[in-house]
Amino acid sequence: MVPLEAFQVLSAVLFAIGLYGVMARRSAVLIVMSIELMLNAVNINLIAAASHLDGMGNWANFDGQIIAIFIITVAAAEVGLAMAIILRMYRNRATVNVDEINLMKW
Amino acid sequence: MEWAWLIPVLSFAAVPVIIVLGRFLTGKVSHRSAAALAIAAILGGFIVFWFVFAGFLAADTDTPGCETGVGTEALTCNYKLTWFEAGIPDALTDSFDRIHLEWGILVDPLTIAMLGLATFVALMVQIYSLGYMHGDPRLDWYYAFHALFIASMLTLVLADNFLLLYIAWELVGLCSYLLIGFWHERPEPREAAKKAFIVTRIGDVGLLVGILLLWSHVGSFSMLETFAAIEAGELSEGVVTISALLLFLGAMGKSAQFPFHVWLPDAMEGPTPVSALIHAATMVAAGVYLVARAFPIFSESQTALYIVASIGLITALGAATIALVATDLKRILAYSTISHLGLMMLSLGALGYTAAIFHLLAHGFAKALLFLGAGSVMHSTEELDVRKMGGLRKVMPITAILFSIGALSLGGIPILAGFWSKDEILIAVNKELPLIFIVLTLLTALLSALYMARAMFVVFYGKFAEQFEHVHDAPKTMSITMGLLAIFAIVFGLVALDLPGPFKGIGYFIFYHEGHGLEFVIWLAALSIVLAIAAFIYGYMAYARKSVNLEGARQRFALPLKVAEGKYYIDELYQWSIDRVVLSFSRFIAWIDRALVNDVGINGPADVTRLLGHGLRRHVTGYVYSYALAMALGLIGLAILWWIVST
Repeated sequence: MVPLEAFQVLSAVLFAIGLYGVMARRSAVLIVMSIELMLNAVNINLIAAASHLDGMGNWANFDGQIIAIFIITVAAAEVGLAMAIILRMYRNRATVNVDEINLMKW
Repeated sequence: MEWAWLIPVLSFAAVPVIIVLGRFLTGKVSHRSAAALAIAAILGGFIVFWFVFAGFLAADTDTPGCETGVGTEALTCNYKLTWFEAGIPDALTDSFDRIHLEWGILVDPLTIAMLGLATFVALMVQIYSLGYMHGDPRLDWYYAFHALFIASMLTLVLADNFLLLYIAWELVGLCSYLLIGFWHERPEPREAAKKAFIVTRIGDVGLLVGILLLWSHVGSFSMLETFAAIEAGELSEGVVTISALLLFLGAMGKSAQFPFHVWLPDAMEGPTPVSALIHAATMVAAGVYLVARAFPIFSESQTALYIVASIGLITALGAATIALVATDLKRILAYSTISHLGLMMLSLGALGYTAAIFHLLAHGFAKALLFLGAGSVMHSTEELDVRKMGGLRKVMPITAILFSIGALSLGGIPILAGFWSKDEILIAVNKELPLIFIVLTLLTALLSALYMARAMFVVFYGKFAEQFEHVHDAPKTMSITMGLLAIFAIVFGLVALDLPGPFKGIGYFIFYHEGHGLEFVIWLAALSIVLAIAAFIYGYMAYARKSVNLEGARQRFALPLKVAEGKYYIDELYQWSIDRVVLSFSRFIAWIDRALVNDVGINGPADVTRLLGHGLRRHVTGYVYSYALAMALGLIGLAILWWIVST
């Protein structure tokens, strides 16, 4: 039996990598991928927690899994939207470097 | 008698009709219809007045709505309707937290007297205006204002509560403004209209405060309820005195009492028939009427009565001396009006209620006649400076005779109306006030006869001024109305006698506390007759025959003459105080407005906001990773917070 802590560490590491990606990458596509990574880290965490709720590895509680499915659904929609925005951005500015997308800056 | 409200309503109704017709009709048709409507309305009012008068004489305390009046003890009829109720009606107490306002009419001898005077003089003046204002391009507006003016005045005298009275009071002020400034193409009428409006407004503030003070203590605007409360001693003496003085402040403004008299001579810039109306029946009579109407308040306070009498005497004497040296015919009459209004106030202050109202009526007829006569002179000579006139009776005999009747009546020549009323005032002053008052009142009476003699003899008698060869007498509309007024100026005084029939004489009709017949103090009457006749004889010799040379006297009294000719420099004093005091204060206030209210109060927050925004906008970097960092740090911060709170 893999202990719950292992899943949580994996989740935290994946989340931190995603966060680093969001903050450090310049490319909008990579930022979206990093966000996906963070969402999946959360999913792992939720499912792990759900499977350990009764202390016996049984799928006793479905809440975490249901929320995970919601997150996957929303993430799919979000990726579609994000890619569409990035595509328009590229068509207009010929770049996906977020440092150059600064029209709203003061 | 219940139909007395028709009297003002007829004229009120005429106003919009005249204005609307004036929009659609043009030229002569519009003018004729305007004049016809206004005159028909006031004629209707005059006819209704006689029915009301007859109904009142036939009424007694058993008549519905009628009872013995509070204070006056005279028959008083009150008819009212609910105007509106506000607040929550409480079925149990039926009074709690409710404001119940009524409007109604009050018919008592004072109202009857004022209705008669106002409708008659207004009717005469409006008919006279047909001739005087002939060909004026804005005649329809003139008649509309006239109708509104007289309707407001009639409402004022009929009002049974102070609120309605105040509304009518302000309407009267508005109409006088409109009519004084009727020829607003020239600058002087504009200025005069503004002056009249603003000066009377100062008094109006006092009136309003007085009304509200009474209301806050009595809880009702109704005059009868207010008087009953005061009679019952529900109000402290201080409150009664202060409210009486505040009401008197309003009366001082409207009735041109010192120091608010300055607007009346300037009001001469209006058309002359308007002056006649203002001086005889409407505007200035309102102040005297107010004091008489609120007499139950005044009579409770000795202080207030003394102040009323003193202001009246100062006004009467001061204005009489100015009238003696003024050179403009209309201004002589204006100062004469101020002087006589002062006498009426003096009489009221001396508890001479009957005398004051009697004099108001007698003076009203005579003064309307004099103004219409002056208007007739002005109409054909286009000259108002009496020094350039002389011997006009040769070219305008009718005007000369009628004007002389008015002058003699006002001067107090026996059996003419002015004599009787002045005599009543002298008796009241002699009875109630210290010796100095009666001496000065007699002096005023002498001056009054003297300046009337001067106006009459200088203009119509003596050497004929050749440049007026072409001058013609007044047209029929003007001379007939003057004639009717002259009849009243002659015979009206006879109502002072004890008459047979229901009317019985004015002493039994208009009275305070109890009616009395004709009073006659032989030495006073004799003295006033001698003074009046002497004044007229002296006037004849000095101004008509020029057998008395005035130059010597002029040089000996050069200084007082100069002061009186300068109208005691009161206008200059006002001008100085406006320039120095009011404007300096205004500049100070303007500075506060600019520096404190605008720069600090309004621009201040705006400046602070702009500076803050200037600083804060730097956090909007435009780099996605800085937002992401902020989000991550915020999340970590929240987690730490949650951790602290939960452990």
